[in-house]
Amino acid sequence: MHLVLQDLANGILAGGILAVVALGFSLVWGIMNIINLAHGAFVMLGAYLTYQLFASFHVDPFLSLPISFVVLFTAGYLLQRYLINWVVRAPILTTFLLTFGLSLLFVNIALIVWTGDQRGVTTAYAGANFTLAGVTIPWVKLYTLLAALVITGVMHLWLTRSKTGRAIRATSMDIGAAQLSGVRVAHIYSIVYGLGAGLAGVAGTLISMSYAINPNMGEPFLIKAFVVCVLGGLGSVQGALVGGLVYGIVEAFATQIDLYIGTQHISGSGLQDAIALAVLLIVLIVRPTGIMGKATA
Amino acid sequence: MALLLLVPLGHNGYIEIVFRNILMYAAMAYGWNLIGGYTGYVSFGQVAFFGIGAYCSAVLSAHNIDNLFADVALACVVTALFAVVVGLPVLRLKGHYFAIATLGIGLALSDIVANLDVLGASSGLAVHHVDEPHFYVYYYAMWLVALGSMLGTYFIARSKLGFAFVAIRENEEAAAVLGISATRYKVIAWAISGMMAGSAGAVFAPANGFLDPSIAFSADSNIFPIVMGILGGVGTVAGPFIGALILAGANELLQKYFIKIHTLFFGAMIVLVVLLLSRGLVWLFGLKGGARTWLKSLTAYKA
Repeated sequence: MHLVLQDLANGILAGGILAVVALGFSLVWGIMNIINLAHGAFVMLGAYLTYQLFASFHVDPFLSLPISFVVLFTAGYLLQRYLINWVVRAPILTTFLLTFGLSLLFVNIALIVWTGDQRGVTTAYAGANFTLAGVTIPWVKLYTLLAALVITGVMHLWLTRSKTGRAIRATSMDIGAAQLSGVRVAHIYSIVYGLGAGLAGVAGTLISMSYAINPNMGEPFLIKAFVVCVLGGLGSVQGALVGGLVYGIVEAFATQIDLYIGTQHISGSGLQDAIALAVLLIVLIVRPTGIMGKATA
Repeated sequence: MALLLLVPLGHNGYIEIVFRNILMYAAMAYGWNLIGGYTGYVSFGQVAFFGIGAYCSAVLSAHNIDNLFADVALACVVTALFAVVVGLPVLRLKGHYFAIATLGIGLALSDIVANLDVLGASSGLAVHHVDEPHFYVYYYAMWLVALGSMLGTYFIARSKLGFAFVAIRENEEAAAVLGISATRYKVIAWAISGMMAGSAGAVFAPANGFLDPSIAFSADSNIFPIVMGILGGVGTVAGPFIGALILAGANELLQKYFIKIHTLFFGAMIVLVVLLLSRGLVWLFGLKGGARTWLKSLTAYKA
């Protein structure tokens, strides 16, 4: 029983991070109809930034959360403003490939700057944990989850209450009408892409505290972000949160699969991408609008 | 294309491999073009078919059957079956959902093979191949596969089948109203495109002599053919070949002279192709109005 509880706890803790990864991805997708394949690379860059600040200046990873956000927001804003906006209304293949090319660029720059070695951010409190009803919970992961919840809450409030947030939502509903009301679409798009990158950077910082860092670390998170978006329902903050938590739990249990068929050993931990695809297909067939979603194309 | 028949006569092993790779990517680009270009279902999982084809050869080789015709035949059967079984649920998806589901298929297959002991798991399998002086057989086999894909595309594009594919791309509902069974034709398009990529894989495996999941399902063999198809011209007969010749050639040069950062260049190349030539060279060559029309096309999708 307490094994089940432990898996459940691990799933929820991992799910909080997934929610933040998916949130930025979901915004960019929902508002601009861009599948941002560079999202995983932004996660990776956020993680490296945190690592570098920690290794060179002993900056606590939680303190680099805002730094990651600002740096990647700026990078994302400029990218959209001066590059992606040129083709933002092209058929999906174009933006899909463009962001893939950008992702290749970033991953290879990271490979040159930081080499392919595994890095880690090991704080003094990294190993500290507490036990509750037989379930071991590392403090770092708990705080990461709390940070993730705060971030999603702030995002939700900002999108619903602020002027820019309203402009963003208006743009996603009807570009023409938004433009007529004085919304500068190119600027709004850039803000949205910046937000996506910034949130990915924040997620990277959170991830750096409990996972190994390498230039290719973003790819699995990219695929999961997609599945989480589909699972939770596209373009809503609550969707990303619920989807992230549900997916985290599903994955925590699925990776525990460990059985033998004849001499063939089947281990769930080696099949993360296959699990993600299976979840994706099941959701798309059973409930295409996601758990929290409205009907989308 | 016929000129490429002469390449092995130079007896230069390296040049031969370079051109064999060009032919391999051309065949895969034709495969992608059929489903992504003509039918309008942008697949990001053609590498799955390539890997399946390659593993078909590896399995035959493990049973001491080393015959390229058998390899290609088995690859065609297995990839077509796979396309039907996976295609029925996946081809119901559209746009982004289809793209990412196909991307997932490639990754998932790689995961699964890496965990299957019969297929050598992640440490891979050796595949028998002929001795060095006879390597040209693989070259000619790959040439045949590429030629077959090209001719296949040419004839399909002019047949009822091809018109059905294009009708689905332009408007699936309207096509259905006209009596085109969308599901059936989409699965057919995907199966044929899979057979092209699978045949290329089936010849690649013995030519390479070794196979593991990272080789069979590499990101390069997944994305290269797509970029080639776009550079040459989506939904054209000549496009994929032109694209493969230019991109695979360029990639080979980059790899030779900038071994460490060639992927970086490749990323930059993709960005440039998408921004400057997203309608392809075939379109550019037939362009009326010259540079001005081209410059105008650049801003067509601007926010």
